[in-house]
Amino acid sequence: MAASDLFSGEEIRFLEELAREKVDFIIVGLSAAALQGAPVVTQDIDLWIEHLDDEGFQRAIQTVGGAYVPPIGLNPPMLAGKAVRLFDLVLTLHGLDSFEEEAANALRVKIGSRRVNVLPLDRIIHSKRTVNRPKDQMVIPVLEDSLKIIRSRKSKK
Amino acid sequence: MRLNTDFLDGLCRERGMNLSEGLRAAGVSRNAYYTLARKRSVLPGSIERLAEALGVPAASLLTDEPAIPASAKRLMRAIDEVARDHPEIDRDHIRHTLILLDEPPIERLRGALRRGRI
Repeated sequence: MAASDLFSGEEIRFLEELAREKVDFIIVGLSAAALQGAPVVTQDIDLWIEHLDDEGFQRAIQTVGGAYVPPIGLNPPMLAGKAVRLFDLVLTLHGLDSFEEEAANALRVKIGSRRVNVLPLDRIIHSKRTVNRPKDQMVIPVLEDSLKIIRSRKSKK
Repeated sequence: MRLNTDFLDGLCRERGMNLSEGLRAAGVSRNAYYTLARKRSVLPGSIERLAEALGVPAASLLTDEPAIPASAKRLMRAIDEVARDHPEIDRDHIRHTLILLDEPPIERLRGALRRGRI
């Protein structure tokens, strides 16, 4: 995939379709941190979907020409197809409250023509501290500093 | 402000050159030099008027330092402000984050994905 094609029309359309279908989802992980201004690197966009069997979710995937691949053996559920190739499905996030509670406190960030739920940076940090894998340990200081910088800027405005 | 020809002449002599040799070393033609020397002022009138209005020498309004774009000055001020609140944070990190905060969220995400593919 050419770098200039990343997160272009198709991927945005998928998120718009999810919103149009009123699917309950939150963008989480480092892609959520990036949306808020953290200088991080990520390969995919993690979506926390409340109900994978939501008919609207299935319709949104089909509308953009993708397919849902249910969990098979040790493989988690995934999405297949050009428009959804950047998205990973997240079933649980350690250290967080219920989907409903996190969604209620999520940021509303405009992507394309819709506003979508994005997990706030402090909750991303909290989850990563809980999981505490080596890759989380590497990125937590960056996220913590980013949060301080963002809060410092907000306090000056 | 006019060209100080006596001072310039003296400087050339101090350096073991006559004025013509000095002009040659500087790549300035005699024509250009005498045109400048005859001018009552080698400064734009607007600078002289501004200096006069402010009561300062016109030369004090001039600098050899390159102009810094206003956006860069704003960024440097913002970095200083955050660094004052959080001296423990690397200034490069502050700069990168502040630059990202100036972009729309979708562009921030695109950047993170692009860097992830390199």
